Amino acid sequence: MTAALEIRGIRKTFSDKVAIESLDLSIPRGATYGLIGPSGAGKTTAIRMIMSILFPDRGTINVLGQGSALEAKNRIGYLPEERGSYRKMTVGAFLTYLGCLKGRSRAQASGRADRLLGRLGLPDVSNKKCEDLSKGMLQRVQFVAAIVNEPDLLILDEPFGGLDPVSVRLLKEVIAEEHHRGATIIFSTHVMAHAEELCEQIVMIHRGRKVLDEPMAGLRRQYDTRHILLEPLDAGANLLVLQNVAGVENVKLNDQGCEIRLAPGTDPGGAVRALAAVVAPARIELARIRLEDVFIRLVSESGIANESSEALRTHLQGLSNTGAVQ
Amino acid sequence: MSISLNRIGLVAARDYRATITSRGFLIGLLVMPVIFVIFVVVIPRVLGSRSPQVTGEVMVIDPTGKVAAQLQQTVTPADIELRRSMEFGQNPAAPPSRSTTTPAPVVGPPVPQMSLVSLPGDADVSAHKNWLIQPRDATPQHLAVLVVRPDAVVRRPDSAAYGNFDLYTSTRIDDNTETTLRASIRAALIAARQRSIGQDPAVIATTEQVMQPESVVVSVAGERAGSRGVARFLPVACGVLIFFGVIMGGQALMTSTVEEKSNRVIEVLLAAVSPLELMVGKLLGQLGLGLTMITVYVVMLSFTLAQYSLVALLDPMLIVYLFAFYIVTYLVFGSLMLTIGSAVNQMAEAQSFMGPITILLVFSYSMSAIVGQAPNSTFSVAMSFIPPINTFAMIGRVASSAPPPAWQVWTTFFISCVTAALVVWFAAKVFKIALLMHGKPPSIATLFKWARMA
Repeated sequence: MTAALEIRGIRKTFSDKVAIESLDLSIPRGATYGLIGPSGAGKTTAIRMIMSILFPDRGTINVLGQGSALEAKNRIGYLPEERGSYRKMTVGAFLTYLGCLKGRSRAQASGRADRLLGRLGLPDVSNKKCEDLSKGMLQRVQFVAAIVNEPDLLILDEPFGGLDPVSVRLLKEVIAEEHHRGATIIFSTHVMAHAEELCEQIVMIHRGRKVLDEPMAGLRRQYDTRHILLEPLDAGANLLVLQNVAGVENVKLNDQGCEIRLAPGTDPGGAVRALAAVVAPARIELARIRLEDVFIRLVSESGIANESSEALRTHLQGLSNTGAVQ
Repeated sequence: MSISLNRIGLVAARDYRATITSRGFLIGLLVMPVIFVIFVVVIPRVLGSRSPQVTGEVMVIDPTGKVAAQLQQTVTPADIELRRSMEFGQNPAAPPSRSTTTPAPVVGPPVPQMSLVSLPGDADVSAHKNWLIQPRDATPQHLAVLVVRPDAVVRRPDSAAYGNFDLYTSTRIDDNTETTLRASIRAALIAARQRSIGQDPAVIATTEQVMQPESVVVSVAGERAGSRGVARFLPVACGVLIFFGVIMGGQALMTSTVEEKSNRVIEVLLAAVSPLELMVGKLLGQLGLGLTMITVYVVMLSFTLAQYSLVALLDPMLIVYLFAFYIVTYLVFGSLMLTIGSAVNQMAEAQSFMGPITILLVFSYSMSAIVGQAPNSTFSVAMSFIPPINTFAMIGRVASSAPPPAWQVWTTFFISCVTAALVVWFAAKVFKIALLMHGKPPSIATLFKWARMA
């Protein structure tokens, strides 16, 4: 079976600025890929080229076995980062219109739109005008617009931006359902925690270049954690003494206890036992790998980042506070 | 990618529905014909049918002793209707000997029934002015006091001019009745003067009556009835229809595109349709809007002409040419307006681009009226081959009383089609790039740069 998406050596420039450079990517059918990177990395440009909204200066893009997305638009669902609606149209008419544009009959589009609206907690908005909805409701409607055609390939560009936690949870559930239905999902975000949770494979882009293309499971193995989280049994315990334990590079206090960073090459299992022997823990665990750490390590080691680690971390987290694993 | 006609149709239908159901369009579409119908059809009929017939008396002080007798004749309803029919451009139905028979009815207010109360020529005017003052419900109504000057029929030896008359009116006389009375007095004075110099007014009236038959236009296609009024009106009307259709459709195109950009719905659409499909769909949607508008107006025009039994003057080929030239003119100007809509982010930014296009459109439109007056002059022929003026110039010529040869019409149409194709091609290139551009509005040079990039 051909890949859902096959990109070979694409390059895109805007005037003298290189937005994408020599990007290769192959996404098998049915996979969930996370396209991650800081704001301005080139994710949206890459997606717009995948959608044939923009065209590469060179290179080829094969989508669902077709020479371009233009040949397969009816089988693609796309939720752009900058998404809107016809303000004067009713929600039902808007969704039916988009479904029909993507090759569905009026009845099919209308029926699926109603079902999805109900699934996303909006059963009564079909006859309301788009302009009468709240921002959060409208974002859910726009998500429905992306999947109203039962796409084989679903591309979501920052789908959770500005959504409340309940809506985020609902959308994640529906994305998972689409995945189980068999849709290939490409998920672009600068909030890496979302990618960690949803994606099987991670593609990192920085300054228009791909810096990582690995399965999430492999990343967890490859980039072994050097962080241990410790919550002491005695809230008044002196945690700074842990600094003296062999293999500990740094101890950072927080509200619950502390985060301990190990020196490279230290055995995490031995370190956990040693730390527990010094301070009795209520909870002690190896922190899960964080994509932002992987990203920072990658770009720092490859020498393609001019920024400091902290600047990169701030850039990755953007305005959100979602750097921590959810 | 192959173009999907289904997607184009869906975009066109959505745009058409969204605009045609908007309050602004409905008002714009209906207000002009409604006003037209009200003024041309309804008001004259309502005035004619609802105005009560005025019945009253006119006091006459006639020192000449000749005017009052003539006035007895000229205030009769038959005389009044005859004069009205002459004013409306209708010919008397029969030669003068039969002119006293009832002429064809004319649309207008009812003929007043006026009777005369004659006083001696030396009666004191100031003493009789109070005759006009009476209660509102008094009958018969005292309408006016006419005082004829002594030299109104026979000039004084030392004067080259005739004397006139004075008219005192009551508050109960309406404008129509007074106008009718003044026309009757004038006719009576002229008749009295003619008699005083030994002429028979009936004979002179006969010599003044020249039948004005409608011309018959003779061409290789045969003969057809002509109408100078319609010939003057049609080129202007056709130009106005194309002008308003283009303005209405073009503005709607620009507005909807700007809204799609500012609402950020454009990228959602581009995920479903190609830029070319979107552009063609939008062009067709608003084209349908313009065609609807012109159809409504053509029906109204036909209805109006039918009111005056002139509908036969509306050549069916003229309507075909009107729609054909509207379509190509719309494609040229509509594509330019669509380009502007795709390039800017807000309507305010579009104004600087719209200025030159509006000037060009108004200038082109003015050609239809100018050319219609001299349809086969060298200037007119030249204008009908220079795009984008040519469609307006040619429709002016086609609608005139001396239409051009068919080869010229089709040459103009061909030139317009080529122009439209080039402009649509340019617009498609800019549209594709400009749709996703936000921020500072581009210059005209940037638009050409985008067209080269695409």
